[in-house]
Amino acid sequence: MKRARILMLIAPVAALIFLFIVLPYVTVLMMSFRAPAEGQPYGAGFSVEGYRQFFSQSYYALSLPQTMGLGIVTSLVCLLLGYPVALHIATAPKRWRGLLYGIVLSPLLVGIVVRSYGWTILLGNAGVINTTLRNLGLIERPLPLMYNEFGVVLALAHVFLPFMVLPLLASLQTADPAVRQAARSLGAGRFTVFRRVTLPMSMPGIQSGCILVFVLAISSYVTPALVGGMRVKTTTLLVVDALIDQFQWPFGSAMALTLAVSAGIVVLIFARLTRIRWS
Amino acid sequence: MGLVTPLLSLLRALVYVFLLAPIVVVVLASLNAGNFLTFPPQGLSLRWFWTFLNNDVFIDAIVYSLILAALATAVSLVLGTMAALYFVRHARREAEAVRIAVLLPLILPEILTAIALLFFFYEIGIGTQYKIALFTGHVLMTLPFVFLNVTTSLQGRDDAVELAARTLGASRLTAFRRITLPLIAPGMATGGVFAFIISFDTFGISFILKGTGSAPLPIQLYDYLRFNFTPEAAAVSTVSILLTLVLVTVSNMLFGRD
Repeated sequence: MKRARILMLIAPVAALIFLFIVLPYVTVLMMSFRAPAEGQPYGAGFSVEGYRQFFSQSYYALSLPQTMGLGIVTSLVCLLLGYPVALHIATAPKRWRGLLYGIVLSPLLVGIVVRSYGWTILLGNAGVINTTLRNLGLIERPLPLMYNEFGVVLALAHVFLPFMVLPLLASLQTADPAVRQAARSLGAGRFTVFRRVTLPMSMPGIQSGCILVFVLAISSYVTPALVGGMRVKTTTLLVVDALIDQFQWPFGSAMALTLAVSAGIVVLIFARLTRIRWS
Repeated sequence: MGLVTPLLSLLRALVYVFLLAPIVVVVLASLNAGNFLTFPPQGLSLRWFWTFLNNDVFIDAIVYSLILAALATAVSLVLGTMAALYFVRHARREAEAVRIAVLLPLILPEILTAIALLFFFYEIGIGTQYKIALFTGHVLMTLPFVFLNVTTSLQGRDDAVELAARTLGASRLTAFRRITLPLIAPGMATGGVFAFIISFDTFGISFILKGTGSAPLPIQLYDYLRFNFTPEAAAVSTVSILLTLVLVTVSNMLFGRD
């Protein structure tokens, strides 16, 4: 085939990504340095007013560390819940593997709004968990399971758990089981084998799983909005509020980019820390 | 050691319950006969499904979402397959750059991409009119899934068979239709199903770019949930879960791969 004809294969997607990803992101970057205005999304000229507005108001600025914390805790919960499951699937007999894999992936087939809604049915004051506990006589007043960080982290962990299990599974399956058996036969205890062999071998999976869940968690909107009932203010909620409801585009863009850069820094620190400790 | 193993098994079992619980609970809630989402349910009934079937807002939203997903999937299938063919067969030094570029919509936060598209379409004077921005967003969100699946089905197969067919006198089109297409059909089917489900369920893009008039189902459901607590939302959710299940089952039967 002629080179020009071959290039026609990639040209439409290249154009699509350039026009509708690259240029729009450049637009956001420029928007964050625009001047604010009354009655319209942005004014003439450039300024750093958007960034100043964000960092000078503690209501907005403090949402940033809180959102990072929420993302980190969600990642950790996913890792703690996902690791035993990934290990289980990786070592399960073949005929069970498909079913277990299906259970782990099943949440992905259900929309994020529906899943968050499911959590509100479970966690609400008159929800399944509180009603059951009350009927059993274990509590008198409903436990505060929703409209707080606890409920948001729990629901986020559920929504993004598959994104932790999949990379873990990939790294665990590439690890040769013979290495583990060799360590065992050389006299290592089961815990030592886990700590010295299995865990280091699955480190790439842990890294990509944690980064993926962290980024997805801090940028999610529906779950904090529905389960947190707008009472847990994440930066992403504030960004959408500033852009869509208050129509302050430079401010909202500055906030969104600050969130993205902060997330990048957290990811870099995490990558650095995990590399030093494990190899 | 004696206590650790049963504890781990218990934790594992709990995680499997944790994964399925919110979905099961939604389906059960849709069968509630009462006026509110009470637990335990006040008897079983399909009344909320009837309420939903008579609610034009939700019916419109489902039809709208199905059409949007079908169109976005069709475009993504063509463009994603072309990109995958280029990536596996022709890309050399630029291969990694091509892969990252096509996967960008998946890597970047969806809500940020949605905002970026909103600004961009506003700047070029279109805004959210004519649903162009919304449709573009859906194509972007679904593209990586077609690309990934077709790439997987192409990798490890060399194109010698197609070349052989060409040498034996088949036209370029025939060679593609008879050799390459059957090879990538399962990948395209899986990618297409993924793309359809992603488009049907995606929230951020639709939320920011929906514009005025009818909105996709997740948006309509979200708006409803903010102010209403009747089991009708559960009935709508159950129907959307069922639609997805039907889609996955049918495509499994047609293109049976496990």
